[in-house]
Amino acid sequence: MSTTRHLVNRQRRLAHAGAARAAATETPPERGKRSSNASKGVNSLKSKAGSEVRAPSLSAGTRSASLRAATERSLGVLRRRVSVLAPVVLCLLVVLLGAFGALAATRADSLRSDPAARNAALTDPARTSEVKGQTAKAVAALFSYNYADTAPADKAVSTLLTGRAVQQHRDMLAAVRAQAKDQKLVLTTTVTESGVEMIDGSRARVLVYADQSSTRTAGKKPETTYAAAMFTVDMVRGSGATWQISGIDTFGQGS
Amino acid sequence: MARMTIQPLLIAAMVLTLLAGGFAVWAGWSWYGAAHDGSAAYAASRDKVLAAGEQAVQNLSTLDHKDLAHGLDMWQDSTTGDLHQQLANGRSEFEKQVQQAQTVTTAKVLDGAVTELDDRAGRARVMVALRITVQAPKEKPAAKDSRMLGELTRTPAGWKLSALGQAPVGNSAAN
Repeated sequence: MSTTRHLVNRQRRLAHAGAARAAATETPPERGKRSSNASKGVNSLKSKAGSEVRAPSLSAGTRSASLRAATERSLGVLRRRVSVLAPVVLCLLVVLLGAFGALAATRADSLRSDPAARNAALTDPARTSEVKGQTAKAVAALFSYNYADTAPADKAVSTLLTGRAVQQHRDMLAAVRAQAKDQKLVLTTTVTESGVEMIDGSRARVLVYADQSSTRTAGKKPETTYAAAMFTVDMVRGSGATWQISGIDTFGQGS
Repeated sequence: MARMTIQPLLIAAMVLTLLAGGFAVWAGWSWYGAAHDGSAAYAASRDKVLAAGEQAVQNLSTLDHKDLAHGLDMWQDSTTGDLHQQLANGRSEFEKQVQQAQTVTTAKVLDGAVTELDDRAGRARVMVALRITVQAPKEKPAAKDSRMLGELTRTPAGWKLSALGQAPVGNSAAN
């Protein structure tokens, strides 16, 4: 009896210790063999466990029957332990993976929504040169004025301006329009340098250096003056891939 | 048996683990992609260049005759290459001029933009709209707007100005 109890206790201990490993072990002989290097008295235990399984019927008798019952009981405990432990381990995995996923997703999102990354100035060369080109064209058209032929200037005003830029432009060109006829004034504006500061979807901001020459031919001798201008324009992409000026910032100086 | 009640729980846990694993893989991939996005890196150096360019242009337009040594050290710190050499060569001459004129020059960056950036070669061009105020003794401070064009070169100590000038005015305009 004491040997049996000994074995049962041993099985329990083993089941307790090797819970993770136990998922694979459905058969007791494996268990017995694997644990054979554990301690003294191992040999007798091994032979007993082995004989119990390999030759269960003949020699062992009632002793082996009770042993089998005990083994089965301990196996039940084992199985229950595994069934309880596995979901716990999996839940832990779910939490860990979920936490990593959440961290990675927020990091990726913050990297992508970073204003620097959203700004396509220079990073999108095609869009950048499109904005530059259209800005130069719009500025040249809007800030050029010929007293003899005002149609192009009027057309530019009606097509290239939007929002508060309409009023800003009107204020800026008021003096020119008022004097143009009398002075026979021709104002020509050329963009000499432009740099795209920001492109975010359909909005853009461009820093512009422009030269303005105004020629007055009313006097005996035509006189031409040159002026340097620098300002920033806000551009908005309208329908049909045309950019319109929606705001002009002359940094507090009249242009 | 207990097995019958625990089995569905196990299956549910396994499904959840799979889902969590899938989510983790997707999010990790997305994070990796965002962190190694070439255009994001380019955008970051564009902004770095702009900040360095604006700061350097402002430094080179700021000088107080009472604090000449520090001011001119700052000039040399902000520059590299030919520009740095020019400043170093002309330093003593310039010191004399400023000490005589006793001017205090301050500058405010109104706006700036990067026009070119070669991230590999470490070269860039910037435009900086600048308002320079010169205060001479017994005179009203005079403000003047300047259209600066600068060229930057990457050095081990960051981006520095290698050329600086004003955009030309007049009939030189060719577009």
